Amino acid sequence: MKLLGTLLKNELKLSIRNMNMVIFAVTMPLIVLVVLGFIYGTKPAADGTAYTFMEQSFGALCCISICAGGLMGLPLVVSEYRERKILKRFQVTPVSPAKLLLVEFLIYVIYCIVSMLTLFPAAMLFWKIEVHGSFLLFLGSWFLTMVSTLSIGLLVGGIAKNMKSASVIACILYFPMLIFSGATLPFEVMPVAMQKIIRIFPLTQGIQLMKAAFLGLPIENVLLPVAVMSAVTLICFCISVKCFKWE
Amino acid sequence: MQTVINVEQLSKSYGNLLAVDKLSLSVKRGTVYGLLGANGAGKSTTIECILGTKNADSGTISVLGCNPKKDRNSLFQNVGVQFQEGDYQPEIKVSELCEETACLYEAPADWKKLCEQFGIGNKIGNAVKSLSGGERQRLFIVLALIPNPELVFLDELTTGLDAKARRDVWRILTELRSRGLTVFLTSHFMDEVEVLCDEICILRNGKAVFFGTVEQAKKANKCENFEDAYLMLSGEEVEKE
Repeated sequence: MKLLGTLLKNELKLSIRNMNMVIFAVTMPLIVLVVLGFIYGTKPAADGTAYTFMEQSFGALCCISICAGGLMGLPLVVSEYRERKILKRFQVTPVSPAKLLLVEFLIYVIYCIVSMLTLFPAAMLFWKIEVHGSFLLFLGSWFLTMVSTLSIGLLVGGIAKNMKSASVIACILYFPMLIFSGATLPFEVMPVAMQKIIRIFPLTQGIQLMKAAFLGLPIENVLLPVAVMSAVTLICFCISVKCFKWE
Repeated sequence: MQTVINVEQLSKSYGNLLAVDKLSLSVKRGTVYGLLGANGAGKSTTIECILGTKNADSGTISVLGCNPKKDRNSLFQNVGVQFQEGDYQPEIKVSELCEETACLYEAPADWKKLCEQFGIGNKIGNAVKSLSGGERQRLFIVLALIPNPELVFLDELTTGLDAKARRDVWRILTELRSRGLTVFLTSHFMDEVEVLCDEICILRNGKAVFFGTVEQAKKANKCENFEDAYLMLSGEEVEKE
């Protein structure tokens, strides 16, 4: 425990000193929130809906930090440590790959939590958003979305050869997910065939679930997204620890 | 005397290049063992195979009675390593790097004291990248000693140090040896090898060409000076002439 605590403290300090994630995972979502807030204010999402546009978008806003951390930050930091032979230094110490990966994973969990803790009060205070559905269900789906997306990042970082290939893989995963998962384009406007394909993204499932939970919309099939996200998390964790490369 | 490292018939090749060829060596507890040879003779590959960071093609390796690949968790509680190309996180401070290293071990040494001993006690608040080459090298030796090791690997430990810093490192290593520490080192400085090493092995194109003490090397080659003997054995003097 002491080991994890000390590593986490120092690695978090380094990550904050680096500023990338402070900008992309914490500041960026706030800026997007403010911009959307000024444009849409407290207007309803569409004529006649009981919820506002801001409420409808809130789940997607929370995913910005998840995406930034899981698909850019986490894979890049782990592969950078490998490329710079920092992992090799760890290899000749008693620490296990699982512990190292867990520490890096937790750092990005912290960023996501901080982002959520700034977005929610700000949106509540200035644009009067409120949860129409279940707050607990919303938090649960947010949590599942976060761990499943971060675990994909862990997998990429754990097995990519170097920073370059990690960043290529990260981009290949990042942009389709960001564009097609419903974080930017509404899921509903896409052709059905496409919807079917992008349903396998955990982020797609996560955003749908978060939206439904937040707005109190009926959720047809809770089990599918939960199953998809849990399976992705489990598989990615196992592979990244099993196939971990020090060098 | 107890054997701390035992290597038998170690071979390792990269593609067609045979980097280490059927090398056997053993290191006794409480001694300083020097692995010498020109650049590319196979020193670093040998160290990496012994540590298990590279897979040997064949041969058996035992370190403190453990298999370095299978038992790394327990083995590295007692082994300190300084790599030639050791790197650190960008932006990390000396204190953070030491603290982060110390937390990995069950019974670490007091890293602040070690930093004092190695003359970087006043630098612990600085960023590692702001240190001079010599200071950084000393820091990496400190890191290797943080586990309170029984055995320490130092790959080109004094490269980049000035004369005084080199003497300081010798003094500390001699003192640690008298307390029972076993040291496995590589070096390109023959004065250092002469002062520190109880036993040496000279590699030439991946093959061991000499085992023994510095005195034996001098005698066998009828040289007054150890460096001359080394150059003859390692095959470097041919190019000089």
